[in-house]
Amino acid sequence: MIEFMSKPFEDSKSLEVLNSYTKKWFLKNFKELTPPQKFSFKLIAEKKNVLITAPTGSGKTMSAFVSVISALFDRALKGGLEDTVYCIYISPLKALNNDIYKNLVKPLTEIYETIKKEKGVDLIKENIREVTIGVRTGDTLQSERRKQLIKPPNILVTTPESLAILINSEKYVENLKHVEYIIIDELHELANNKRGVHLSLSVERLQELIGHNLVRIGLGATLYPLEEAAKFLVGYENGVPRDCIVVDASWSKSIEIRVMSPVGDMINAHENAIEDSMYKMINSDIGGSKSTLIFTNTRSGTERVVFNLKKRFGYSDTIAAHHGSLSRESRLEVEELLKKGALKCAVSSTSLELGIDIGAIDLVIQLGSPKSVTRSVQRIGRAGHSYKSTAKGDVIVLNRDDLVECTIMADAALKRHLDAFSTPQNALDVLSQHIVGMSITRKWNADEAYALIKRAYPYHSLEAGDFYSILKYLSGSYVDLESRRVYGKIWYDEKENMFGRRGKYAKLIYMLNLGTIPDEVAINVFLEGTKRWIGNIEEEFLARMKPGDIFTLGGRLYKFLHAKGTKCYVEEAKSASPTIPPWFSEQLPLSYELGIAIGKFRKEMSDLVREEIGRRQKKGALAGAGMLRKGSIPKAIDLYLSKLPIDKNAKSAIYTYFAEQELFCSSVPNNELIIVEYTSDNLKDSSYLVFHSLFGRRVNDALSRAFAVEFGKMTDEDISIMVNDNGFVLFVDHAMSMSERRVKKLFEAVMSSDLAKLLRENIRKTELMRRRFRHVAARSFMILKNYKGWRQPIGRQQVNAQLLLNAAEEIDPDFPIIRETYREIFEDLMDIGRANEVLSGLRSGKIKYKFISTGSPSPFAHSMLTFGHADVVMMKERQQYLKYLHKMVLKKIKSVGK
Amino acid sequence: MKLTEDIELIEGMPIAYIKSINAIAVSDLHLGYEGVMSKRGALIPKVNFRKIKDMIKSAAEATKADSIIVDGDIKNEFSNVDVEEFNELYDFINFAKEIKIRPILIKGNHDNFVERYSIPFKLAVHRQQATIGKYLFFHGEELPKIESKGTTTLIMGHEHPAIGIYYENGRKEKIKCFLYGKYKGRRLLVLPAMSYFAGGTEINLESRKSLLSPIFKKIDIDEMHAIVVGYGSTMDFGKISELRKMTAQ
Repeated sequence: MIEFMSKPFEDSKSLEVLNSYTKKWFLKNFKELTPPQKFSFKLIAEKKNVLITAPTGSGKTMSAFVSVISALFDRALKGGLEDTVYCIYISPLKALNNDIYKNLVKPLTEIYETIKKEKGVDLIKENIREVTIGVRTGDTLQSERRKQLIKPPNILVTTPESLAILINSEKYVENLKHVEYIIIDELHELANNKRGVHLSLSVERLQELIGHNLVRIGLGATLYPLEEAAKFLVGYENGVPRDCIVVDASWSKSIEIRVMSPVGDMINAHENAIEDSMYKMINSDIGGSKSTLIFTNTRSGTERVVFNLKKRFGYSDTIAAHHGSLSRESRLEVEELLKKGALKCAVSSTSLELGIDIGAIDLVIQLGSPKSVTRSVQRIGRAGHSYKSTAKGDVIVLNRDDLVECTIMADAALKRHLDAFSTPQNALDVLSQHIVGMSITRKWNADEAYALIKRAYPYHSLEAGDFYSILKYLSGSYVDLESRRVYGKIWYDEKENMFGRRGKYAKLIYMLNLGTIPDEVAINVFLEGTKRWIGNIEEEFLARMKPGDIFTLGGRLYKFLHAKGTKCYVEEAKSASPTIPPWFSEQLPLSYELGIAIGKFRKEMSDLVREEIGRRQKKGALAGAGMLRKGSIPKAIDLYLSKLPIDKNAKSAIYTYFAEQELFCSSVPNNELIIVEYTSDNLKDSSYLVFHSLFGRRVNDALSRAFAVEFGKMTDEDISIMVNDNGFVLFVDHAMSMSERRVKKLFEAVMSSDLAKLLRENIRKTELMRRRFRHVAARSFMILKNYKGWRQPIGRQQVNAQLLLNAAEEIDPDFPIIRETYREIFEDLMDIGRANEVLSGLRSGKIKYKFISTGSPSPFAHSMLTFGHADVVMMKERQQYLKYLHKMVLKKIKSVGK
Repeated sequence: MKLTEDIELIEGMPIAYIKSINAIAVSDLHLGYEGVMSKRGALIPKVNFRKIKDMIKSAAEATKADSIIVDGDIKNEFSNVDVEEFNELYDFINFAKEIKIRPILIKGNHDNFVERYSIPFKLAVHRQQATIGKYLFFHGEELPKIESKGTTTLIMGHEHPAIGIYYENGRKEKIKCFLYGKYKGRRLLVLPAMSYFAGGTEINLESRKSLLSPIFKKIDIDEMHAIVVGYGSTMDFGKISELRKMTAQ
């Protein structure tokens, strides 16, 4: 049973469980127990499974370790501490592992020193040994690994991938036979992806291997829903979640968030003025605190901000950038400087969001929306010296949608309404890997193996049919008997229902190819018909592009033509605007929860605005221009907005935004109303069909394709689409007439369609499918990245994956790895589940849609149409286009007023 | 589709039938490909040979041809004959025997060591090219030598021609095609690859410089017609130059 514990133990009760040496060390180093520790010491000492959620700086790691350390010293004092692993600590970051090691060596030595002093020569007589700790990751040197094999540490600090290797090493498994505790840190980072799925199976396999239950301890700063996180941690036994006690101490550090706009009027301000003001704001923030951490969301943004701060304010080496494209050495250097307090300011894309201790940060600045409440809490939580101080965050917004989004986000963060994580369910590629791993260790009865796999949370609903299809696939049943020697990775006897290892290379293949993180590769961009190399783009970015898409590279615009392997061919695009922003593959999608929250806000706010218009019209006043006079917010609206964490400028900007939309077209979209706007900006050849649909980008990704396919069928044309957080846009030929009847027909077609089938057909021959299939094929060991000492170059892997896909489709369109690729795209990349919910909402009438035709785009459509330009720190062009659109809006509102 | 009085392109297949010599002509089978790839760590299931057999069988039945001319690259590996290749080569010969059709092999650049099997299997293997009736068959990695004044038509493989078609939603399709044009006053027919895995070179997207066969240095490929094979039919899509214009839009 999953239980929530809300009342902490008394401190004396908590300390009672520790032995005198550990207690002495603890009291000497800490004045008191932190909130999570008030629960955890006793629970862990009682060997309960515990999930602890608590903010950064709240002694979370110690809350997990102190009781474990105490128990290990108990063992040592009895002379029973052996050279074997008793506790495994797992985190997703190697850097964090090194940190933990440093932080634990200190107490372990200090406690041992005290014992040594007290016991004197008895130490040897009583065989009281030191509690040891060791790190084992991909970076660990071969010599150190050998040492650990002979003399394993009592506490093993490792990563999910290294654990997977260890449980398949016959020799090392002997060292794991006595493991009692497993601590999983940064659980929120693992529970929502395939790395976590992989880990959950490794843990179940470990438990089965050693034949006793582990005490499982999970740690995370931002976890929601906690019940699901607990199930992820402890797994299932006989179809029921194992016992776990949830300790929610996330409230123990207060946060303070300000949403700030650099200028009062975000539309009419000159683009330079906005930029100037933004950097001034940042600079004054930096000046006002000892050490500041800035998040920019993208790598290019990080570089630009650092460059500008240095250029504008003459900072030298007191400001540094930190992001994934930098070398490991320079990242480590920045981290060290931060810890030492030698940096005034660090600027990061996302990379400093989790993990390692980065010292005392006074303030976090977030540029633009981080797109999820959880992420904003995680980032802002990096500020504040301890759990007692307040974590301060300034969110600087640069456009009106950003403002609304960040306002709602900040409000939700203060109320701690986090976004839910979701774990990929029944992923067949990770399952394949583990079955190969299992077959290496011993012979298995298939039903017994199936039962084991179902104990892991991400597989508790795995269908037997799926499991057996994987066994068949792995045994090479899709080729004739004599070829199975080459194709089969396991041996499987259907009659006896047994499986096991096949061939002498199985283990080597497994060890060299395991893991879930795909090899990513830089795609070289060439000018079509020439050999001119233009630059590199990321593979994920390529996967997102379709021919005709326009993107920027090195400051110039290019039109994507086609791709082959690791090469991409383009031509120069003249006088067009980008359809995909350069950071699109990096950009985090707006979460569903936040989308819905914004939708609710839109509804309430627009109701108030409509009332105000009604009131004015009753009085005979002109509704239009008068309402938009500067600085005049109607009382009721002011009252409503005052509940939110924003200043006067921001309130006024939000009010104007909504008033303009309502006056312009009397239609404000919300979470129960999709507005379909047919419009044109008179600049391009095509018109737009803008769908204001606020359900998060993953849902929009799925919905937009469905609408494009059905619309394509209706018009017998290929329809281009542009997806974004606030909706999506279909590009419609000018000549095509658009009417309410036509849109109704379109909705009826989409509502009655089989979404999965439709998306499958839509995605089947795309670059996205090809790239994702390669990842899945590599995870399923169909494409071996590393084979008998030969590394398959990535371009080759991609070409082979394409051939493999063709052949597999030919054999069986429902081939397990094809099925998994679709599952990953539909469920992990998109959100087909919720897209279906939206469709059923439309069918039942819970969600409505409304067609409007506007001569020029409504204000709420502007951010969607300027999407290609929407890099927060490069906004010149975008600002000009926005101004143009805004002018058209005001012209219409004024003419209505007259 | 009837190409000339004497040449019939079998609908929907990369196979040509030549009436006057009662033979079907195919090229680039690349047998054994999957087996060889699987030994390099890409476990591609075997489908190629099965697909090829199905096509040849129905073409042979429909035309009652008594021989099959393989215009090069019956197998895949450059170096020695891999055991996986040998197995499929062996099966191919048996299969031809079964359906009573005599194989005539033109050696391609992938076909080293194939001659080794010509005697035990009583195979007709031609080194570079072969003139059969009014036709000169050659693989294509070298220029042909016209031996007889009576030769009216040259037939080659090697290039794996195809065309690429893009759709707005990012879908892309590659469809195999024959190429049909003129060389030194004679007709030139380029056969598409039989291999399931040779998707082909997208002639309309690829620059002329990147083509494999030296013959395309002598003639302008853009003047050739693409005769597209797919979805059960065979259709003339017009000149490559026209197709290039379409995709450039």
